[in-house]
Amino acid sequence: MEAPPVTMMPVTGGTINMMEYLLQGSVLDHSLESLIHRLRGLCDNMEPETFVDHEMVFLLKGQQASPFVLRARRSLDRTGAPWHLRYLGQPEMGDKNRHALVRNCVDIATSENLTDFLMEMGFRMDHEFVARGHLFRKGIMKIVVYKVFRILVPGNTENTEALSLSYLVELSVVAPAGQDVVSDDMRNFAEQLKPLVHLEKIDPKRLM
Amino acid sequence: MGVTCVSQMPVAEGKSVQQTVELLTRKLEMLGAEKQGTFCVDCETYHTAASTLGSQGQAGKLMYVMHNSEYPLSCFALFENGPCLVADTNFDVLMVKLKGFFQSAKASKIETRGTRYQYCDFLVKVGTVTMGPSARGISVEVEYGPCVVASDCWSLLLEFLQSFLGSHTPGAPAVFGSRHDAVYSPADTMVQYMELFNKIRKQQQILWMGRDLERTSSLSCNFSQYPT
Repeated sequence: MEAPPVTMMPVTGGTINMMEYLLQGSVLDHSLESLIHRLRGLCDNMEPETFVDHEMVFLLKGQQASPFVLRARRSLDRTGAPWHLRYLGQPEMGDKNRHALVRNCVDIATSENLTDFLMEMGFRMDHEFVARGHLFRKGIMKIVVYKVFRILVPGNTENTEALSLSYLVELSVVAPAGQDVVSDDMRNFAEQLKPLVHLEKIDPKRLM
Repeated sequence: MGVTCVSQMPVAEGKSVQQTVELLTRKLEMLGAEKQGTFCVDCETYHTAASTLGSQGQAGKLMYVMHNSEYPLSCFALFENGPCLVADTNFDVLMVKLKGFFQSAKASKIETRGTRYQYCDFLVKVGTVTMGPSARGISVEVEYGPCVVASDCWSLLLEFLQSFLGSHTPGAPAVFGSRHDAVYSPADTMVQYMELFNKIRKQQQILWMGRDLERTSSLSCNFSQYPT
């Protein structure tokens, strides 16, 4: 059972509801360089940042129809970085004019024994993958261009194979609930990336 | 954090919890300890909701979510004899989302509040343990800042504890037990507090059971006055 839907209220029970605004697209491998070049020009001036992350998706099944999903992510190339636990709610249905996908999100930094702890709570790992790519920032917007790798042997992150011949591009902002002007800024930025990549609002339910 | 020992101070004969706390703090001040603000450690208990139990096929486990004012941006979540997760305070927000799967045990919130005293390299915290509005016991936490390996400084800690707790000095905490050379961490302190809170809860339950027995036995006495 999900908590009551988080609407436009920025604060519930003393804590700020954070929403993730998301636009997604993809580019084929051979177009990666031109996209990175354009992003380097448009985004904040910073050292090019690459990352290699290992993400595991955990499910908690109850009597409710839909299991509770939690995502545990850790860095494979930065030692000492905390693990990242993320909860993503259902996409907010409503304003068709809203340019980005909006969903409630809770981000938690944790110690390294996260997977043991989740298993103890009753969660079971559903699937895992490795994400390898580039990270850019423009103000509060985060742009990630990454490739998803399938893990061939569970738990072994060395032995992976690419899932496709393309890179996934995600433009996201995490902001308090009720700040829909954010999605306008995102749409304007996405316009500047055309025609290299078309970023749009993709409803995950339609893919299933 | 340095190696820490958390123990319970029994209430003095014929005195209230508050009076015993005052006796202790006066002893510390006479030793030369300096007051340095206040502290609070709290603990909330959750158990797996009945709806999840059926599909998991395992006995309901108790999960403790604790906070320590010494680490204001952290939240500690632990299972008895299980792992202790150190997370940031957004973990509390996640527990609200998990309401359907983990329910807060009724009237389970227990906390200890009191004063912090600094005495050279020792940090002493004397707190009153409360469940709801009533005081249920006294917690004493002593940290030896410079050392992070328990086996290296336990005897020094013990000596210091004896100097102001006297006969109420505790034995070595169970968390030190197995891994003598492991680096001490705040999670170990939270485990000690969890054990202390559970002990106090049990003591309270025994007290309530005792009172119930007394009440029922007095009832039966009344009955015997009216022979059939």
